Amino acid sequence: MVSAVHLDGITKRFPGVVANDDVDLEVERGTVHALLGENGAGKTTLMNVLYGLYEPTSGTVRIDGESRAFDSPRDAIDAGIGMIHQHFMLVDPMTVTENVTLGSEPRKWGGLAVDRAAAREAVVDLAARYGFDVDPDARIEDVSVGEQQRVEILKALYRGADTLILDEPTAVLTPREVTELFTVLSELTAQGKTVIFITHKLGEAMQAADEITVLRDGRKVGTVDAAATAREELAELMVGREVLLDVDREPAETGDVVAAVSDIVVDDDRGVRAVDGVSFAVRAGEVFGIAGVDGNGQTELVEALTGLRVPDGGSVRFRGEDVTDASRRERIDAGMAYVPEDRQERGLVLGFDLVENGLLGSQRDPEFGSNGRIDWPATRDHAEAIIEEYDVRPPDADAGAASLSGGNQQKFIVGRELERDPALVVASHPTRGVDVGSIEFIHERLLELRRRGVAVVLVSSKLEEVQGLSDRLAVAYEGEFVDVVDPGETTEERLGLLMAGERPGDGGGEGGSDRTDRDTPAGALDDADGERP
Amino acid sequence: MSAADRARDALDRLAEASATERVLISSAALVLSVLVGAALVLVAGRMTACTADEAVYYFGTGFCYDPVVVFDRLFFGALGDPLGGEWSPNGQFAVTLRETTLLLFTGLSVALAFRAGIFNIGTQGQMVAGALATALGVGWASAFVSGALATVALVPFGVLVGATVGGLYGAVPGALKAYADANEVITTIMLNFIATGVALYLVSGVFKDPNSAANQTVPLPEFARFPSLLFGGQQDFSLVALLFGLVAVAGLYYVLEHTAFGYDVRTTGAQPEAAEYGGVDAERTVVASFALSGALGGVAGAMYVMMVLGTFQTGIPSYGFDGITVSILAGNNPLGVGVAALLFGVLKSGTTVVQFATDVPPQLVGVLRGLIILFVAMPEFFRLLARGLPGRRSGRGPEAAATDGGVAVGDGTASGETAGSDGAEAADERGRERRDGGGR
Repeated sequence: MVSAVHLDGITKRFPGVVANDDVDLEVERGTVHALLGENGAGKTTLMNVLYGLYEPTSGTVRIDGESRAFDSPRDAIDAGIGMIHQHFMLVDPMTVTENVTLGSEPRKWGGLAVDRAAAREAVVDLAARYGFDVDPDARIEDVSVGEQQRVEILKALYRGADTLILDEPTAVLTPREVTELFTVLSELTAQGKTVIFITHKLGEAMQAADEITVLRDGRKVGTVDAAATAREELAELMVGREVLLDVDREPAETGDVVAAVSDIVVDDDRGVRAVDGVSFAVRAGEVFGIAGVDGNGQTELVEALTGLRVPDGGSVRFRGEDVTDASRRERIDAGMAYVPEDRQERGLVLGFDLVENGLLGSQRDPEFGSNGRIDWPATRDHAEAIIEEYDVRPPDADAGAASLSGGNQQKFIVGRELERDPALVVASHPTRGVDVGSIEFIHERLLELRRRGVAVVLVSSKLEEVQGLSDRLAVAYEGEFVDVVDPGETTEERLGLLMAGERPGDGGGEGGSDRTDRDTPAGALDDADGERP
Repeated sequence: MSAADRARDALDRLAEASATERVLISSAALVLSVLVGAALVLVAGRMTACTADEAVYYFGTGFCYDPVVVFDRLFFGALGDPLGGEWSPNGQFAVTLRETTLLLFTGLSVALAFRAGIFNIGTQGQMVAGALATALGVGWASAFVSGALATVALVPFGVLVGATVGGLYGAVPGALKAYADANEVITTIMLNFIATGVALYLVSGVFKDPNSAANQTVPLPEFARFPSLLFGGQQDFSLVALLFGLVAVAGLYYVLEHTAFGYDVRTTGAQPEAAEYGGVDAERTVVASFALSGALGGVAGAMYVMMVLGTFQTGIPSYGFDGITVSILAGNNPLGVGVAALLFGVLKSGTTVVQFATDVPPQLVGVLRGLIILFVAMPEFFRLLARGLPGRRSGRGPEAAATDGGVAVGDGTASGETAGSDGAEAADERGRERRDGGGR
C-alpha cells in the first residue's frame, strides 16, 4: 500500500542552523500519526515543509506515492493537505459557514454573488458526514475554543483535504474538548482521512495516535507503534541520552536556606495553570536540580522565582525576606543571578554589542558607574573579561550580540550571570547549544560557585546534567514535582519513569488519565483556588 | 529565489548597514532625488507656455523652467547666497536657522520616544501646551522684572515653563500606555486635538488680548523674548535659541548613550523582554521617556512664543508633525537630528526663495521638497522596518526559522515549537555528538 504522506530525507537548513536533518516520515492512509518531540526538535519546521511554507534544502515529499514540490500552501492544499495551526485563522465576527467557505464560496448569478444557501448546506452536509457538532449560523466569537477548532478542521475538509496536519491541537483545549477532538480524529480516519498531529505531550500521542514518530534536535530518533510502546520509552527517546560527562564533586557542605518557594501557583500566558503548588528550598552550597520534559511548568516556576512572572498563589523567600512581590530589579540587587531559558528574547539585546550586553542587569551597579552615569571603560573591561574567561568567539567586545552563534551567546550570558557574585544562581538549560569543552567549563563554574557557598537552582532537560550536578533532584511533571530524589541513589530508568509522570510508589499504567491535569482551564481552577487555605 | 526573498535580503542588508554606509546611502538618495526632481521640472517646463527668450535650452530643446535655477534657489537661496558675496546674517539664512531651531526640538522629541519604542505623534500637542504655558507664565512674570537682567531671568524661565507643561502633557499618554495599556498613537492624536481645542477656548476667552482682534495672548515685552544677537532680529531668529537646541542635541545624545536611564530607554525600545529581564521597570521607563519627549516638544513651543511670535496665537504651524519626518530622516539618532533639522530647515525656507525667484508654481516646489524628503527618509524608514520585523535573517539568524513563515502562527513562543533559538542548539548538539562518537 502506498503511503498517504512520505517524506524522504528532508533536510531544512536556515543560515547557521539545521532545523531538520535527513528526516524520513511515512504515514499510512487512514491513520493518526503523532509527531512527538521537545520544543525546538523541528516538528513544526518539518510540517511547514510538508505544507509548502518552507522549501526543503534537500529531500523529497511524496503524496500518495507521487513526488511533489510545493511552492506555497496553495499547492499543498491543491494536493489535499490541510493544516490547522495552533492559533486559529478565523474571522471572529463572521459565522461558521462564512469562515468555512471563505475564499472559495459557492457562487451564483454568474459568479457575482455568494450563494449563501448552498454554502450553508455544504457546511451542514460536511459536519453531518463526520459527526461534527457545529452550528453553521453561530458567530465564531460566540463559540467555544473546541468548536472553533472543529471549524478549522471543516475549513480544511471543505477545501478537499485528505491529510490534516494539526499543530499542538490540544494546547488550548479543556480536557473534555481534548476527548472530543480525539473522537473527531478517529471519525476522520475511519472515513479514510489521514491525520498528523504535532505534540510534546507523550500521553496524548499514545492515546490518540496509531504510530508515533519522535524527533530530537532536528533528527528522527524513531517511529514506534503507539500500542506497543511505553511512556518511559517515549520519554527517553524525546530527551535522549548523551555521553555521561564526568563531574568531580565532593559532598555538599550546605549552609542556611537561601531561597525557598512554598506552595507556589503560576499560570502561563494563556491563563492555564502551569505550576500547581510547588514547594522547595535551596541552601547555600547546594545545587537543587529540576529535571523533566520541557513544558511541565519549569519555565513558569523559574520566572516566578526570578521575578519575571507574578505568581497566582504561594510565596517566594530569598535570603530571609519575602520577595513574592519584589520587582526583578530588587531581586537582582539582592544577589539573584539568572541564566534565562530564552537567550535571544531575554538574555541578550540582539541589537546591542557585547559591551552593552555585559551591562544588562547591572546598569545601576556602582561598579559600572555612579550618579546614573555609565562608566563605559569599566563596562568594556568587564565584557572583555567575560569573553576571555568564557571563551566567547569571536573575541570581540564590539561584535553585535546577534552576530554570535547560539552557543557563544549562551557562554556570554552564563559568564555575565556567574560573575555577578550572586547568592543564588538560577540556571535554565545553561549548556543548551554549547560545545563539549564549554559545557564542562560551565559545569565546573557552577560547582565552584557551590563550593563558595552559592545556592544553585539548575533546570535542565538533560538527564546527565541534572543528575551529575545536583545534590537533590526534583522531577517536574504537569506543574508539580512528582518526587525529589537523591541523584546518586537513583537510576536513569527510574528518572525516566518519573519524567513520564509516574508517581513514587505507583504501579505504573496511569495511561493518559492524568495527562489532562495541566490543561484544566483557569476558570475551573479559580474555583479550586477559593478552597485553598 | 522569489521576489519576496530578494526584498527580504535587501531589507536585511539595510538593517546591517554601518554608520558610514548609512551616510553614503542618504547622500546618494539626496543626489538621486535632485536628479528626479530636475527631470520633473523639465517636464513641467515643457508643458507650460513662455516666450522664447524666457526659456532655457538643454539638449537643443527649450524649457520654461530651469532646474539649475530652481535647485540653486532651493539650497543656496535658503543659505542666503553664501557664494554670492552679498551674504548677510540677517537674510534668508536667519529664516533657515529659525526653522532649524524649532525642528531640532520637535525632532529630538520624536527621536527620544522612538528610541524607547514609543511612537509619539503628540509632539504637536505638547508643543501647543508648552507654548501657551510659556506665553502665560512669562507674561505673568514679566510684570515683576524689567531691563537687561530680566531677559537673562525670563528666557530660561519661559523655557522651563514650556518644558514642564509639555512634559506633563507628554506624561499623560505615557501613564495611559504604561498603566492602562492604551495605544500611544491613538491617545497622542486625541491629545493633539484636545490641546488645540483647549488652547483655542482659553485664548479666545479668559486669556485673550483685549487689544487685538486675533485669538492671541497679551504680547510679551521685548525684554522677555530671545535676544537677537548678531542676527538683526527681523527674521525672528535668535542665536541663543539655536545654542539651546545644540545643547539639547548633545544632552540627549549623552543621556541616551552615557547614562543608566538612557540604557534603560534603549533596552526597552530595542527588546522589551530583555529589558524586563535586566531589571528595567518598563512602566516607569515609558512614563519617563514620554515626559522627557513631551518636555522637548514643550520647549519647541516656548521657542516659538519667545523667539518667533512674541505671543501665543492659535494655529501653530505643524512643527510637531515635521518632527516625525526629521526623526526618521535622522534614524532617531540625536546627532542625526541636528543634520536632518538643518536639511528640513533649508527646504522650508528655500521654498519661499524659489517662489520669489522663479515662475515655478509653489505646488511643484512642494513636490520637489517632498521628493527630497521621501528619498532621504526611505532608506532609514526601511531600515527601521527591517529591524522591527520578526525573524530578521542575518541578525537574528535562527529566528527566521522560528516565525513559522509568518503565516503559520502569530506567536512563535506560544507554540513552543520553534526551530529558532533551539534550532541553533540542535545544530550544536549534533556537532557534539559526532565528536563523542555518535549519540545513543
